[in-house]
Amino acid sequence: MKEIGVFFSSSLLFILPEKDKAMIFYEHEAKRLFKEKGVSIPQGEVAKTSAEAAEIARKMGKPVVIKAQVLAFPGVGAGDAQTAGSPEEAGRVAEGLLRKSYNGQQVSEFLVEEVLPVQKEIHVAIRVDGAAGAPLVMASLERLSDLDEEAKASAKVASSHADPFLGLKSHEARKLAKALGFTGDSAGKLADQVHRLYKVYAAWSALAAGFNPLIMTPDGNFFASGAFLEMDDSALFRFPQFRDLSLSRILDPLAREGKTIGVTYVGLEGDIGVICTGAGIGMATVDLISKRSRPANFLETGGGITEKQMGEVMRLVLKKAGLKGVFLNMYGGINPIHEGAKGVVKVIREDRVKIPVVAKAIGNFQEETWKILEEGGVTVIKTIPTDQAVEELFKRLGK
Amino acid sequence: MSILIDEKTRVVVQGITGRMGAIQTMHMLKAGTKITAGVTPGRGGSQVEGVPVYDCVEEARAEQEINTSVLFVPASVAEESCMEAVDAGVKLLILITEHIPTHDTMRIRAYARSHGATLIGPTTPGVVTPGKCKIGIMPTHLFTPGPVGIISRSGTMSYEMAGLLSTEGIGQTTMVGMGGDPVVGTSLVELLELFQKDPETRVVVVHGEIGGTQEEKAAVFIRQKMTKPVIAYMTGKIALEGSRMGHAGAVFVGQRGAMENKIKAFRETGVPIAESPGEIAVLVRKALKI
Repeated sequence: MKEIGVFFSSSLLFILPEKDKAMIFYEHEAKRLFKEKGVSIPQGEVAKTSAEAAEIARKMGKPVVIKAQVLAFPGVGAGDAQTAGSPEEAGRVAEGLLRKSYNGQQVSEFLVEEVLPVQKEIHVAIRVDGAAGAPLVMASLERLSDLDEEAKASAKVASSHADPFLGLKSHEARKLAKALGFTGDSAGKLADQVHRLYKVYAAWSALAAGFNPLIMTPDGNFFASGAFLEMDDSALFRFPQFRDLSLSRILDPLAREGKTIGVTYVGLEGDIGVICTGAGIGMATVDLISKRSRPANFLETGGGITEKQMGEVMRLVLKKAGLKGVFLNMYGGINPIHEGAKGVVKVIREDRVKIPVVAKAIGNFQEETWKILEEGGVTVIKTIPTDQAVEELFKRLGK
Repeated sequence: MSILIDEKTRVVVQGITGRMGAIQTMHMLKAGTKITAGVTPGRGGSQVEGVPVYDCVEEARAEQEINTSVLFVPASVAEESCMEAVDAGVKLLILITEHIPTHDTMRIRAYARSHGATLIGPTTPGVVTPGKCKIGIMPTHLFTPGPVGIISRSGTMSYEMAGLLSTEGIGQTTMVGMGGDPVVGTSLVELLELFQKDPETRVVVVHGEIGGTQEEKAAVFIRQKMTKPVIAYMTGKIALEGSRMGHAGAVFVGQRGAMENKIKAFRETGVPIAESPGEIAVLVRKALKI
């Protein structure tokens, strides 16, 4: 469908980002987006050197927290944060952080923020509830579970679905604040921040947004000390300002190239290149190859392949060093696989590909596709079960 | 019998003049689907494959018999196109379009439901009742009539499952592509319920994948309400945490959307899980006692 729709399938997120196909926001960028919608965030500035960090601390004239700005990945977490009582200490802390790297990323920026006294921490997350088909707003004085079902069921979590058309209403936000035990002014202020969070979520057509956490200071004010926002790949066409940035934030160059071509490439550890014309068959294929060998990648073209694109896809998969073979699993439904086959054999011929290429091709124009592939030196599998096709591949590879 | 579509289905194709809409209209007509109208704003009065084109669904319905819409429209106008069909009184919408913003999909789903319309998709290959009606992008020859209901989160996996069953002489009542997005119009549980009620369906095959909680909810439904055997095939076992495996909905982070929860739920319910596509046929034969 990509030729009729706007095709740009990046995802923007931070805190829970995707390794291979995400634009990830740095914390300071996310906070800027939150601030635009009136969320209160701690006073802070970005520094690139230890001198700048010291200068910001001096200007603020109070204790600061220095947060290394790195892109956070699941299970790895973000960079360190350390407090500093004086500008000199801020400089020293920054100097130390500059020498560190997290998840392969050298620290090159800090967020220097005021340290705020914390009376209470409130964790808030807005996610898409797939089963309800509506946004689910959850709030708790404790960290929220990854599992929405578990979080919703917890007595310590207040939750509310929002209407997909009307959004979270003010009274719904107030009810959440009250359920967490807040009353009077503080309930009103908390509800206001939650309501603004919803505005961030709606404005960016996000898959998820949240405070991790929102803090209440002893004087009864609220600040987002941690903030997260997960953008929706599919909504990116509405935000052209992120288009270039989102590509630059994909760390795997092959995944980045896949995105440019218009396909999903996920780098894996093995040595068998995989090209599939659909996500389901793609997942089945890498699952099956993994039983006895190791796929080098997952690659899914989606609908609407062309000769040119399949040539690019073939070259992309072949870029991985040490490949032993390439396996293609193609279905001709929405995809003109006979066109795709031309692109594949053209690359085999032009690039003098010597490793075995095995292809299963079924669907509209299958006979034509088989002929093109066979003439191009590809071993063609003409039966349906992918398990049998993978067996043929193993045979060809001597496994 | 079948579910959702049959020989009485009369279809309008929204987005019929687009490249994909026109090609797939040709394939659907060849499969015997009764397409009575197409709609593309501004192209009223023209024809595609002999099908009259109208400017809007309401005008098409005034002149033609229509009870179902299939949409091949760009993602950016999917929401308004669905609302147009619902407003014109269409009760079944099959939304093929991929990459629709999730916020738009939530609104489309809510709008359809509040007006008593059924939405299949988005990101669906469509629905096919072999021999009677094919609505969508699936290769026709892989599907044959018979006793097996198929529900799939993926187009290509639905072709594989139906194709391998057909090769072994086991046909299908209806195949429904549920869609690979985080939010879909009709859930796995709702589709299982339809197959449970369909007298001709004797076994249901479900293709599930990582992401969301549909399979877990289905396991509960199967335990409590299904009398027919259900067989599952799951994909995404070696997915990387946090990486979307082609479908917007196929992602796990920590325990959220993780494969082990789904497999556990099916195992506890006694739903046999095929280890490979080839094994699906073996399990179906066993369930059908053939």
